[in-house]
Parts: sequence; C-alpha cells; structure tokens
Amino acid sequence: MTAVDPETRIPDPIDLDRAEEERLRAAAGMGPAPASSGAGGEYAGFELVGVPDRPLQTEREVEMYTLEEGEMLVNMGPQHPSTHGVLRLVIKVRGEVVTDLDPVFGYLHRGIEKLCENATYTTVLTYVDPMDYLASMHNEHAPAIAFEKLYGIKAPPRAEYIRALVVELNRVFSHGLMIGFLALDMGGLTPILYSFINRDEVVELLASISGQRMLFNFFRVGGVNWDTNDEFLSRLGTWHANVRKTIGYNEKLITENEIFRGRTRGMGVLTPEQAIAYGVSGPNLRASGVPFDVRRAHPYSIYNELEFDVITQQSGDVYARYLQRIAEIKQSLHLIDQIMDKMPHGPVQAQVPGIIRPRPGRAYAAIESPRGLYSVYAISDGGQTPYRFRMRDPSFITLQVMPVLMPGHLIADTMAVMASLDPVMGGVDK
Amino acid sequence: MRLLIDRLGDTAGELRTDEDSVEIQVSRDHIVDTLKLLRDEEDFGFFFLADAAAVDYGVGRHLEVVYHLYSDRHPAWLRIRVPVERSDPRAPSITGLWAGAMFHEREMYDMMGIVFEGNRDLRRIFMSPDYRSFPLRKDFLLPDDAADSPAAGVNPLERPETWDLSAFTRELTRAGATYAPTATAMDVPPDEVPQADDVADKSRPR
Repeated sequence: MTAVDPETRIPDPIDLDRAEEERLRAAAGMGPAPASSGAGGEYAGFELVGVPDRPLQTEREVEMYTLEEGEMLVNMGPQHPSTHGVLRLVIKVRGEVVTDLDPVFGYLHRGIEKLCENATYTTVLTYVDPMDYLASMHNEHAPAIAFEKLYGIKAPPRAEYIRALVVELNRVFSHGLMIGFLALDMGGLTPILYSFINRDEVVELLASISGQRMLFNFFRVGGVNWDTNDEFLSRLGTWHANVRKTIGYNEKLITENEIFRGRTRGMGVLTPEQAIAYGVSGPNLRASGVPFDVRRAHPYSIYNELEFDVITQQSGDVYARYLQRIAEIKQSLHLIDQIMDKMPHGPVQAQVPGIIRPRPGRAYAAIESPRGLYSVYAISDGGQTPYRFRMRDPSFITLQVMPVLMPGHLIADTMAVMASLDPVMGGVDK
Repeated sequence: MRLLIDRLGDTAGELRTDEDSVEIQVSRDHIVDTLKLLRDEEDFGFFFLADAAAVDYGVGRHLEVVYHLYSDRHPAWLRIRVPVERSDPRAPSITGLWAGAMFHEREMYDMMGIVFEGNRDLRRIFMSPDYRSFPLRKDFLLPDDAADSPAAGVNPLERPETWDLSAFTRELTRAGATYAPTATAMDVPPDEVPQADDVADKSRPR
C-alpha cells in the first residue's frame, strides 16, 4: 500500500471548512470551536438533521422534534422526486420504522387567494388554473358556479353539458396519472408510460377545444369559451374507441400483480371514522367505505340528469384506493357516453358583460374534483373584484392524515401511502 | 330550517337562506357547543366539515370565521359565521370535534392572524416561521397596478400594525390560556419595528 503524499493529496472539503472556521474564530478572538455534542465521529449531529434552527413553538412541534433513545430524523424533500411537487416530509424513525411524521410545505405558495381578491371575476378564472395543475378544469368549475350564483345567472344547457364533458375527461387522465405514479413510487416504471400515453391524448383533446394543453382557461362566468369543433369531436371519437384498451393495459399489469398486492394490501389503512374526522374527501374517502360524492350529495351542473354509481371500497388501504381510481375512471367513461348522447344544441355562453359587478352577497360552490371536495366561498361587496375568495383544496386537507397513517410502517412505504392519497402540491400550497 | 330555529334558539342569531345553503350566526362563546350539537344530534347529522375559512371585513370592522358543514339528511350546506373582534382575534379551536380542522386553523392563523385557543399546533403553515404579517388581511395591500388595487404602489406591503400579535399572545400566557407560543429569536423589540413610512414601496409611480 502506497502512502499518500500530503503535497499532492486532494484536500477534503470538510477539512478545508474546519480550517476556515478555525481561522475566522481566531480572527474574531473566539478561541477554538467547541467539540460537537452527541456520539461524535462521522455521524455526529446526524440525529438533528431536520430540527428547526429556532425555539420550538407548539406542543405538537415539541412532541415531533424531541427524540428518544434510538430515534432519528430523516428529511425527505423538499425536492425528493417522488413527493409530487415541492413537499418536505420530516420523518422520525426508529431503525427503519417510522414513528412520527411532519409535513412541511408552502414552498409553492403564490398567494392565489390574495391575487384573486385583486382581480376581476373573469380574471379569477385564469388565476385558479395552476392551483391543482392536474385538474385545471375542476379548478375553474367551482369559481364559475360560485360567481354565477353571486351574479344570479345560469349557464345555457349546452354549456353545462360541455363543462361536464371536459371535467370528466380531466378526471380520467388525473386518475390515470395517479395509478401510474403509485406504481412508479413503488418501483414499477411501465405503468406511468401507459398513463402518460393516455394523458397526452386527453390533453391534446382538451387543447383542441380550449386552445391550451395544461392551463386550459376554458370556463367563463355564464358559460364556456368555445363550442365543440370538428377536431375535438374527431379526436374524442378516436380516443373513446381506444381508451378502455389503454386503461386495460395498466389494469392488467397492476391489479393482479403479486408484488403490488403484497406491498399495498393492509398498508396505510384509513378507517371511515378517521377519514371523516380528518376531512378526507373524494376517492380516498370512498375507498374507506363512506359514500360521499358531491356530484350525488349536492348535484351541480347537470349531474342530477345523469346516471352513475357512487362506488365505495371497504378496506381503506392503498390497494383499495387504487381500485377506487380504476372504478371511477370507468364510471367517468360511462358519464362521458351519456353526456355525448344527451348533449343539446344551443348557445354556450350567457349574455354577460365584460366586467361583472354582482350584488353584495355570499356564495358557496363545491364540486367533486379528482382529489375530493373542492369548494369556493366567494363574497361580493358590489365591486368588480370579489371581496373575499376562498378555496378549499382537497389535497391540502388530505395531507393531514399522513402522520396518522405512517407510524409502524417502513420508510420505503412512505411514498406508496403518499402516492395513494394523490396530493398535488400546487393545490396544497395555493 | 325550522329544526335549526327550534333547537338552537337564540344562539343561532339571524338565519338566512339562498339557493343551496342555510346561514346562521353564532357567537364564539357558543360555537363549540353548537357544532357538537349539530354533529352528534340524530336530527342534524352534520358529520362532515366541508370548509373553515376566515374573512376580514376591513380596518375598523371585525374578522369572521366561517364553517361550512355537510349533512346527508338535509338538502343544503350549513354555513356558520362566527364574528371575531379585530382587537381580540381569538376563537376556540374545534380540533377536538374534527381533527381535520387543524390545517384549516393553521391556515387561518397564518393568513389572518386568528389565534385558536386549544389548538396544539398553531404555527405558520405557508409562510416561513419568522414571518410577521398576515397576508390575507385587508390592510395588507398589493402594489399591483395591473389589478388597479387601492394600494397601487404607494402603500406599505406589510403592515407593522398587525405585528403586535406577539404582545397579545403574551397576554394570553399570563391568563393561563392553553395556547402560548414561546417568543422566538426573530421577535423584534417594539423600538425597532419599522414605521410605515420606512417600508413604503415608493418605487412605483402613482
């Protein structure tokens, strides 16, 4: 073994840092740095990785960041690739078993509610698009309904049918992506490719009616921006002829997969009582066996004219949440069939002035987004901008159950449970 | 609706309806009992907390906490408005009834500066922990010409007047309240709080 020549050895950056720190301390007359506390050696201070560098503020924070013997904090994110956006999870582990968890977010906070309070009613519908960017159509739907209630108008029947159509199309690709991401987070690369093939077709389809691929900006107060056109209808026909097959690829690949079932059944079980107490809604709530669907509970748009089932699962685990998505995609395709059959002729936009000034009042509009109950509470003071514009995003509320679901599971399963809840950080952070 | 009048009596305040919601007003002293009654009573069955939001009615007027409830036995959303004094922005926490109110209350604290007594985890949720203002209050103005807001570049973006919540929470500590955030290193002594003129954004013409 040859000895390393100290002259030619590349210096360790940590040694350089220490030397620099010593030099600065000496220059400031502070004396040598104190020896680090704890176990010392290579992992000294490692257990303090996620602890905030400020006094702890609340009971819960003290409980979370006080470590017992053998416990350690692991910091996932904010840029972990599978956290579905910029989410940071501080995980307290004992060995490899999670004992507690603290979601930290706000990295994407854009203050959309404040922006909307300074924008006209028409402009608000463009601001809400990038919230939950996998369900932009749903984001626009709730404010459109709320503003129509405030202004006292109704969209024409054909506009309502087109709205329901694009919203269900959006739901199909959003649920499809959830399935792909769930498999991806557990190490299966193929399903996400099929999901994206399907998603790309739907997005092109929606682009041909709205003009944009992702942030559609399609809804207006009192209607929609465009009527259907030839390209849209032809693409819809092609897509519809193939969609059951392309959805079937993923279903065949995942549903009976032994590894997938082994890792997801009995994992992250959410009981109905917990789900209701934590405000979980949408497919996650129905996967726990609670038949709450806003489309049925408070029918908006044309959902009282359409026939569909509120599907529920019983077990409330990750596998049930996956099955729920598959079932809801089929239900959405069934709805799309009915909408295309029943769609009436007529105008797609009510007569509305460019800048609307509703009478003072309040309106609450809730819709069923792919992630659950998405609602808007708007207050008008008679001016051209909403006085208060409040959005309740389902993924924001759903994130609360992570500290409930995770204790007792392994670190590697965090991503599976996370992906099964399907949060979108653009919506969480507003 | 008749049921609401019969069972809640005087606490319900003025009762209003619109096309798909029923609205009542409850004082903050009665809100927890009222919500518990609405949730647990067979006749009501409002088991799902759909939304909890805060509204600011402007300087010199009050703040408000608004709850929306869902019941599978009634055809309307129930909206409950709870006025909160601006000089005394306290409200009881309902995390004991719905654990999911936690993030709602943290958001209301972060954005509007309403302190929920009994909440175990009342800290900033979107803004960073050393942030001092409450962005959704109406005296927090955006210098935004495009939207032609009343701020329009001459008013301060952040209002030091709203920063005295720490003084308010110290008062809470003395009264032995359940929630008492510890003072942070970022707390600025009152002398050093910048005056409104210092922080005004004068870069934009108006």
